[in-house]
Amino acid sequence: MQRLGLQRYVIVIVFACMVIAFGLAIPSTFLSIGNLSNILGGQAVLFILVMAVLLPTVMGDFVDLSLGSSLGLSAMTLAVLNVNHGWPVVLACLAGIGAALVVGLVNVFFVVYFDNDPFIVTLGTMTIVQGIIYIVSGDNSVGIVSTNLSNWIFSNNFLSIPLEFYYGLAIFLVVWYVLSFTPVGQKALVIGQSREVARLSGVRVVRQRSWAYIIGAGIAALAGIAYAGTNGTVDPGAGSTLILPAYAAVFLGATAIKPGRINALGALVAVYFLATGTAGLELLGSQSYYQQIFYGAALVAAITIPKATRKRFFKRKRVA
Amino acid sequence: MTHPASGEQAAVPPAVELRTISKDFGSNRALDKVDLRIGHGEVVGLLGQNGSGKSTLVKVLAGVYDPEPGGRLFVGGEEMPLPLAPGQASEVGLSFVYQNLALAAGLSVLENLTLGQRIAGGLRSWKPINWLAEHRSAAAILDRYDVKLDLDRRTGDLVPVDQARLAIVRAAEDLRRYRTRSGDKHSVLVLDEPTVFLPEEEVDRLFDLIRTVVAEGAAVLFISHDLAAVRTITDRVVVLRDGRVVAEEATADIHEQELVDLIVGASARPGASVPAEAAPVEDQRAVALTLAAMESVGDVIAVTAGENVAVEHLTDARVHDLSFEIGAGEILGVAGLIGSGAEELPYLLFGAQPSGSGTLRLGAETLNIGGLSPQRSVRERVALVPADRAVQGLSQSLTLWENIVMLVEDEHYRGGVFYRGELVTLAGEAIDRFLIRPALAHNAVSTFSGGNQQKALLAKWLLARPRLLLLHEPTQGVDVGARRDIYRFVKSAAALHHMAVLWVTTEFGELAEVCDRVLVVTQGRQTAMLTGEELSEAAISAAALRQAREVVK
Repeated sequence: MQRLGLQRYVIVIVFACMVIAFGLAIPSTFLSIGNLSNILGGQAVLFILVMAVLLPTVMGDFVDLSLGSSLGLSAMTLAVLNVNHGWPVVLACLAGIGAALVVGLVNVFFVVYFDNDPFIVTLGTMTIVQGIIYIVSGDNSVGIVSTNLSNWIFSNNFLSIPLEFYYGLAIFLVVWYVLSFTPVGQKALVIGQSREVARLSGVRVVRQRSWAYIIGAGIAALAGIAYAGTNGTVDPGAGSTLILPAYAAVFLGATAIKPGRINALGALVAVYFLATGTAGLELLGSQSYYQQIFYGAALVAAITIPKATRKRFFKRKRVA
Repeated sequence: MTHPASGEQAAVPPAVELRTISKDFGSNRALDKVDLRIGHGEVVGLLGQNGSGKSTLVKVLAGVYDPEPGGRLFVGGEEMPLPLAPGQASEVGLSFVYQNLALAAGLSVLENLTLGQRIAGGLRSWKPINWLAEHRSAAAILDRYDVKLDLDRRTGDLVPVDQARLAIVRAAEDLRRYRTRSGDKHSVLVLDEPTVFLPEEEVDRLFDLIRTVVAEGAAVLFISHDLAAVRTITDRVVVLRDGRVVAEEATADIHEQELVDLIVGASARPGASVPAEAAPVEDQRAVALTLAAMESVGDVIAVTAGENVAVEHLTDARVHDLSFEIGAGEILGVAGLIGSGAEELPYLLFGAQPSGSGTLRLGAETLNIGGLSPQRSVRERVALVPADRAVQGLSQSLTLWENIVMLVEDEHYRGGVFYRGELVTLAGEAIDRFLIRPALAHNAVSTFSGGNQQKALLAKWLLARPRLLLLHEPTQGVDVGARRDIYRFVKSAAALHHMAVLWVTTEFGELAEVCDRVLVVTQGRQTAMLTGEELSEAAISAAALRQAREVVK
């Protein structure tokens, strides 16, 4: 019990130590409003995508690879309609969300209805959607989207932090509430941990899994809109670079707060732990692609260290 | 078909001989000085009820269990030190086919047939496989045993009897290879309940194969519940009861009724009923918790009256037109051998597998069994305590409290607030009253013993205030103390809630102890309804065994 209590907060503690270490090493740049704004605002797109990833994952559908493509599809639909066809930005956003929801429905049809392996199906849908993105964009970056959108997402600040951070926070609060503070969330957990127990306890497993895919796709679409607003132009490969970091954050988050369970608060901590680490490293002078190494190493370390301390790994030494 | 070897035993040592084998589990003696000999080319039937020691004896022979000192094993006249090392049994000419067959369902027939040769260490495992040659030799093997199977077929797609035949051919071929390699004459094929899941008409095809195996030179030890099968295929029968050999006779010389008496113990036949006991105070308290929960949602109607349950014309692939009633507050037992179809009933009535037809009447409501689903059943307050506790009953990785309150969560979500505190308190009360130990609500279910998990599972469903409680093997893997508790809790629940209970198990002693009536199911049909004086373990066993014989005719 005690060990579990400590394990809950390992990431939080490491997070705090990291902040102190960077703060001591580079106080003037790291401990600045600018950096805080950069960390919180700069990762908002990833943060929203993490909330999308969370939903199917909680229910034991461990991979929906297509969520990254849904993000890209929504952003590209919005950009093409807004920039090339002159649609008003609100309508273009709605069209983007609609396109992503279609992807979610296709996943539901093949994964839930036909009971296929989600990894294989979403590998397929991811590839198809990526292809569609290249077709509609003509393999070009599309921009610049309406500055109205950029203003309301990225340029306007509240307490020096871009608005998109607060949008992410709002989505987080809803997801967190539903997953942790309602019977629906509790049922989702049972579906994820023991699907057969859930089914025989009368939980509507099919329905709940379906909603997870659909709402997940919808949230990914919102992440896509945030992406378009943040960057101004949409790159055809937008979503595919974000999906793996998003999964890294979700699984890293599963080692915190409620160890062994995919949980929203843990994911929040994990996203900003990773963001802070990379921001600090960048300020220390390393290239941004070191981010990937940091992400990967943190994930593997987080799931391994609790086991290594528990298992023979250390006990054997003690005996010898 | 073969010659009983009794006359020649003096000259030729038996293929396998076990002497004075005993095995204790704690203070419980599972085998008591058992002697068993199997002659060359002989088919010996090993009979006995659940818990008589059959499988323990097989496991001693396979080297799984270490018997008590004093036991001796002779193979082909040569003494082997006990226990046999892992894998040693196959090296001395013993081969086993268990009920689960140990076939890889996803591999082809050919791959399964040659699987044994693939499991080799060192450089041999790098030797290239010549699939064409393998194909030819496998076809030759199947021909030898006159078994026609498509070698490229996926094994899981074969009908059950063909899977069984494949497993037997593989084992028999191992033995034949052993005989040619060693030059020894002896070899024994052990078949543990091979006919359990087979339809009657297909058992004959299996027997033809067994006869071929014997003609090739192996002896067979045939373990079964199925008296008809044993009488058809064996030369000699050995009956175990309570870990002792109580009879050893040539099959031709023994009558059906004698065999039943020997298996169940003739002295124990009808009569010895257990006096009904009133529910002790603490059980009433435990069960009263569910009443309290009921009142909290203002649903008091069902408490007062209770409802009769009737099942009519229940039919599916393995059950034929079963109709029975369960009165309010009654515990109806269902007895049937493994494979009889009895084990399907709780799942069919709950809608866990939507494959049946027929009707289920709950009081004034009539439900179509084909249209049932778990959601519907939960809403109609039908409860299922499945046998597979770990996969179907409780979520092992979640905490004890989360599992116990799983079905009543919605009642504690009001005005957008989820009152977890109430749920934890409710679970804490259930843990206390259902005597779940250790009383740690926040520990994962996987850390609790089988008995405590089972009590938690019962608590979970009783909190949902069922009108009909369906139990399948509710005391499987449960220690004696918890078993008593579970009997008492279910009895109290039935009495106080006027709940109808269906109790399905192959432990007939349990049925005799807890049930008001017992329905006997054989080959998917109702063959007897036992009440009052007839409710003893021996009588229920006898009914289940005897009916098997009659249906076969």
